[in-house]
This record gives sequence, C-alpha cells and structure tokens, in this order.
Amino acid sequence: MTPKNALRYAYYPGCSLHASAGEYDLSTRELFKKLNIGLTEVPDWFCCGATPAHNVDELLSLSLCAKNLELAEQVEGDLAVACAACFSRLKTTQHILSESEFKRQQVEKAIDAPVPLNGNVKHLLDILARDLGLKRLGQAVTKPLSGLKVACYYGCLLTRPTDVPNLDCVEAPTIMEDVLQAVGAETVAWSHRLECCGANFTLSRPGVVVQLSHAILDSAKAAGADCIMVACPLCHGNLDIRQKEIEGVYGTHYAMPVFYITQLVGLAAGLKADKLGLDALIVNPMPLLKEKQLI
Amino acid sequence: MKKKKMLLSAETMDISFVRKVEALSGTSVRRCFQCGKCSAGCPMATFMEHPPNRVVRLLQLGQWQRILAGRSIWYCASCETCSTRCPNKVHLASIMDALRKLSWDAEGPSKESYVQLANKLFLQNIRTYGRQYEMRLAAVFNVKSGQFLKDLMLGPKLITKGKLKMFHQKNKNMTEIEKIFSRIEEMRKNGEAL
Repeated sequence: MTPKNALRYAYYPGCSLHASAGEYDLSTRELFKKLNIGLTEVPDWFCCGATPAHNVDELLSLSLCAKNLELAEQVEGDLAVACAACFSRLKTTQHILSESEFKRQQVEKAIDAPVPLNGNVKHLLDILARDLGLKRLGQAVTKPLSGLKVACYYGCLLTRPTDVPNLDCVEAPTIMEDVLQAVGAETVAWSHRLECCGANFTLSRPGVVVQLSHAILDSAKAAGADCIMVACPLCHGNLDIRQKEIEGVYGTHYAMPVFYITQLVGLAAGLKADKLGLDALIVNPMPLLKEKQLI
Repeated sequence: MKKKKMLLSAETMDISFVRKVEALSGTSVRRCFQCGKCSAGCPMATFMEHPPNRVVRLLQLGQWQRILAGRSIWYCASCETCSTRCPNKVHLASIMDALRKLSWDAEGPSKESYVQLANKLFLQNIRTYGRQYEMRLAAVFNVKSGQFLKDLMLGPKLITKGKLKMFHQKNKNMTEIEKIFSRIEEMRKNGEAL
C-alpha cells in the first residue's frame, strides 16, 4: 500500500512519447515505479497543438491546452509532463489565460468549460530535483554513473519563456546537471546547451536541422562529452535520428549516444536496459555503457 | 541589381495593420530601440532575409508587406530566445505568431510553402485523430510536397526500432475535439474572435 504522503501525479506523455519517443515513455514509467512515484495517465488527452498551433492560431493553441488542463483535473495530483514543448505550451497557456480576462473568456467558450488555472504543471526534471529531492534521488542510486561524461542539453523550451514562472534560470540553468551529479555522473561545461536544434523543421526543412544540430554535436564533442542527455523528444529526434545524416553532410564522426534523462537516471537506479528502451536509440549506446562498466 | 528604395509617406506606411499585430501579440513594437540583441541570439537569423530586429523596424515603419512577402516569419523556430533577451520586453516571439496568423488568414502571400504545409497537416491531424501520428504526418507531407524520397532511408530503421507506428487508435472523446474546432470557427464567423 502506498503511504499517504507518497508522491502522485497525473501524467501527460504527449504525442511523441506514444510514437517516436516510446523509450522516453517506457523509461519514465519504469523509473517512477522504481522511485515509488505514482503516475496516472490523463485519460483521452489530446495533442497540445505544439508549435504549429500557436504559430498560426493562438486561440486554437490555448483551447487545446486548456482542454488538456481540464482533462487532467480528473486525476489526482499535479500534472507531470515529459516533453519540453508540451510543458512550455501548457505553462504558457496558464500564464496567458490568467493575465488576460478576454482570452480566458474566449477559450472557455471554445471548450465550453471553465479553465483550471491553479493546477501545477511540472516537468519530470522538476519532480526529480525538487519534489523527490536530490538527496532522496541520490539514496535511490545503486549503480552510480561514475566516469560517464555527459553534456546536458536543455534546448529552447525547457526554461522559456522568461515571463512564465518556470523550471530554472532562463540563461544559466543547472537543474539537469544537478540531477545527473546526484546520480554520480560527471557533467561537462559546454557552449551549446541552450541553443536550438531546429525543432519541428525536421519535417518541413530538414536542412535547417542538419546545420543547427551539427553545431550542437560539435560543441558537445569538443567539450569532451561521452554522450548527450535531453529531456525533449524533438531534440532527441534531431540529435539521435539525424546524427548519421549530419555526419555524412559534414564528413565528421561522432557516434555520440543521446539519452533521455529518465534513461540515465534509471540506469543509476539499477534498471535493466530492456526496461529503459536503450535498444530503441539509433546511435547504439551499448559500446559506451560497456566501456564504462555500466551495463 | 539596384535595391529598391523604401519611400516613407502617409501612403506607404500602413499603421492599422501594425496595430492589429500589437493587439494580437499583446506587445508594442514602439518599445524597440533596435539594439539588435534578438538577431544576435536568433538561431534562424542566417536563414531569414529580414532578421528579427529588422522585422520590428519594418513594423515600426508600417512596411508589413515586405515582411509577409518574404520567408522570415516562417523560418522562426519559436525558440523564444529573442523574447527572453529583449531589454525592452518586446515579446518578439508573439509578434512572429501574430504575423503568421495574419498571413495565414490572408492565405499567405509568402514564398515559404513547406513550413505552411507542415503546419496545415499537423492541425488537420489533431482535428481528425486528436493526436499526432508522426508516420502519417511525414508520409502525407512527402506526397503533398512532391518530395517522395525525402527521409526514405530513415523509414525502415525507425520502423524496426518501433519509432513509427503503422496503426493508431482514435481518442474515445473525438467529438469533443471536433466541437472545439467548430466552436472557434463559429466564433470567428460571428466576429467574436480574431
């Protein structure tokens, strides 16, 4: 039986976690189970609209997010979000609708329900670093990631926009490094941790992604990182799935595994490779993990 | 080729459009003093004919047609670096959203069709399925944009890794999503929403 003060959340995985980022979903569920943190998926959640919706139709974007906030009310606990883009959209919606009475009325008309604006929307990182706490996270470690040099990649949306009360300092966040150091890994200082990877141009203009993600991979390698860690399925797709293409275009060789945060923390908490979906990564992480004796 | 001179006069400066952008974005273009910090930090500036600070300058001068005719607004990645770093709190990312919406509603005079097509298919998917199905999104995009071979080499690998789902389930509450879309359309028809 779960104790009364146990951590429990409503879980919004987002579309990518049910498709191209299945390993992020799997490793999140397994890690949270291991850490005794309850996750209940929001029933019948919708796409948050992501960038395309707010790009051309703010009212639709706000309404989709508001609908999801409303659906999340059915489940007890704060809302845990895995994807950086969904996280940013849901937070931004709460912010805009609490600032503008006019927009809130329009959205309430569109979804035909009041918008819950007081619920907490939290990224998984926030839950690990603050709700659970670095100390308790450290205590759950059975296999410290010693000797693994990780480049923590935040990307754009995890800490932005600045006017929304958010995860961490917008220009110099440390939350990813804090979490990884708590599980025994070494984090590198590098230049591109907040630069854009090209995001959803992966569909419309992949050339943009190749150019921007190349700079990120280059920077991580120059800093001496063994691997990159991300907390966003789009960043992951661009750096992992397109890595071979980038190597081909620029004539470089990285073989740089790109992990989700829950995969690395899960590894440290003693979860096996198959529970973390490590085999779903395109750049094979096994040689690195074997070399560091982590698997 | 000689650059076309920009003549400023009451006839060439259309401020009413700029006011609409300001209302939609909730930010004032008059606050910008052209420090250029937005363009310095913009990861996409190299792909744009008008970098972010110039987009704001053109708005200040009522020259919005020049912006909409180009690709700049569609090459914005919405990373929000500009809004984050602006010393005068000009929310440039929201200005870009507003410009895209106005351009989109006017059925886009822009040359950039791929990004607009991707957006359109993305929103259609939400209306039809409630969620995004990446496989379908990519396949339809390739067909409609005439790039049949784009990323073809990635396909088999992604399928064996379980990253592309061939089948998907519809949400049980699909009528609710349809209602949201149609209510918004209704509100716009009645002039209650922009």
